[in-house]
Amino acid sequence: MTTESATATLSPSLGGKRRGVLDRVGDRALYLITLLAAIGSVVILGGLTYKVVDLASGAISNNGLGFITTSNWDPVHGQFGAAQFLYGTAVSSFGALLLATPLSIAIALFLTELAPRGTRTPIATLVELLAGIPSVILGLWGILVLAPLMQSTVEPALHSALGWIPVIGKLFAGAYSPVGLFPAMVILTIMTVPIVSSLTREIFTTVPPAAKEGALALGGTRWEMIKTVVLPYSRPGIVAAVMLGLGRAVGEAIAVSQVIGGAPSIGSNLFLPAQSAAGQIAAQYQGGTPDTQSALAYLAVILLVLSLVFTGVARLLVRAIQQRSEGRSQA
Amino acid sequence: MSKWQSDYSSKTGDTVTYGAIGSGGGIEQITARTVDFGASDAPLTPDQLSACKGCVQVPWSLGAVVPAYNLSGAPDNLRLTGQVLADIYLGNVTAWNDPAIAKLNPGVNLPSTKITPAYRTDGSGDTYAFTDYLSKVSPEFKSKVGVGTEVKFPAGVGGDGSDGLAAAVSKTDGAIGYLTIAYVTSNSFNYALLQNAAGNYPKASIPAINAAAATAKSVPPGGVSIVDPPASAKNAWPDSTFTYVIVPTSTGKADALKKFITYALGPGQSFAEGLGYGTLPKQVVADSKAALNKVGG
Repeated sequence: MTTESATATLSPSLGGKRRGVLDRVGDRALYLITLLAAIGSVVILGGLTYKVVDLASGAISNNGLGFITTSNWDPVHGQFGAAQFLYGTAVSSFGALLLATPLSIAIALFLTELAPRGTRTPIATLVELLAGIPSVILGLWGILVLAPLMQSTVEPALHSALGWIPVIGKLFAGAYSPVGLFPAMVILTIMTVPIVSSLTREIFTTVPPAAKEGALALGGTRWEMIKTVVLPYSRPGIVAAVMLGLGRAVGEAIAVSQVIGGAPSIGSNLFLPAQSAAGQIAAQYQGGTPDTQSALAYLAVILLVLSLVFTGVARLLVRAIQQRSEGRSQA
Repeated sequence: MSKWQSDYSSKTGDTVTYGAIGSGGGIEQITARTVDFGASDAPLTPDQLSACKGCVQVPWSLGAVVPAYNLSGAPDNLRLTGQVLADIYLGNVTAWNDPAIAKLNPGVNLPSTKITPAYRTDGSGDTYAFTDYLSKVSPEFKSKVGVGTEVKFPAGVGGDGSDGLAAAVSKTDGAIGYLTIAYVTSNSFNYALLQNAAGNYPKASIPAINAAAATAKSVPPGGVSIVDPPASAKNAWPDSTFTYVIVPTSTGKADALKKFITYALGPGQSFAEGLGYGTLPKQVVADSKAALNKVGG
């Protein structure tokens, strides 16, 4: 996200001096160590992908694409359909980002444009500290504090506020449970807000001050400046930040499985229990028969592809932004 | 197991290293011989046993699962039959004041609360024992759900691990779930009494588990099921189960393994009761020792 404009000035000044043998050995060693580290990560990604696909090959040839479209997960009878887990993952992740995106934009706008200067860094640090909370602790908090609150207060309130709307109301039908999709969405929102908001904040800081000042000079209010300059300029970056958040949400297993309810069902009501793909893998892999493990590996392949796609798209967008801002600084 | 581990090493100086990785993982690792022995809450299936190539499995401890429930306005120890419990988990009986439950509990004012069956989402020996029992008493359960450490329950909510299941039960009014005796008593859950084949409703207790285990007259290589024991065991808890140790017959550590397992079958049994487990009956211990003799020879 940072621009790489003013870095290449220091090194040439060292050139004139004659270097000792030790220095050269040191440089060589540094090169090799860093090279090994870089190769290592590529090898791990490759080996990991190979192993997961290899494990999944049995389930892939047995179930084919029907794995994604059917929803009967019955290890005793050797039936494996994962649509309900993908549904749980999709709804909880997209729901979380639906909540997290406006929240993150609001936080980022506040911190870059509106907050008094002295308070910006402390607040930003606190928001980012949220990302450091181990997910199992968030999940425990979810079980002990969030879930009962959801069941007794938030869910009934949402039901009475939104339950009457045709179609959308079905999401908020009147059956409340302490565990379910909705608490999972809220937990994932808490986990993704720090990522999305800190990236969005960095993107907002790349908006050229001249453009913002121009908008203000034309008589715009602060909101008009944000609406006409900051947001349009940052749109691809925000999309990239959301994509990275989505990658995080899709892969989260522990905290989600603690609050989602572990029920393999597809229902429109957000308050009822469901199960996510990552949660299912975490719960059942160790105790599974070889067939179950293969089917879970298939599920892992799908997750892997999804997160690679999300991260890949995000990187492409980020690169586009960097090129644009570099182009601007050269112009 | 962890109790045996520390007691055995303090008595003999030998170290036993034990990692709790779930029954499926244990079976996998003993099959691959990356460990010296495995332990499982469910007996190996014939396929698993043949894949393990020359393994013997012998019962070495005895436990039970108990239907715990959370129902405001209802007393402890409601009575259920295995058939009704199966119908609850199949989604056929959905309210606590269903006539099938009311008939078993005359004089009890049952609330109309919806029943939420809770189950383990992870692979679990408790699930094995529970589905083994329900499959034995209900043909419908056997064909629709079947027996296993991971099965597909048609209704209800899941919990990850005993703690997750316990949390699901204690947070949901009207929930019922299956937990071990030790878990239920130490967390003071209400639990349902189950009718045994003799028509009695024994309390879930160590003597009631031992009574069920006493019906196992011999231990075939494929393991032995003691769920829903015959009516001759008047006070037997209907959902008791053995857990097994799995040992390869050809191993370089035969003597050490035999010594440890003999300890577990003998002095080790004295810890069982305090931890909520039953004591292996004599004939099962004798069969286990006989099977153990195949190891290394």
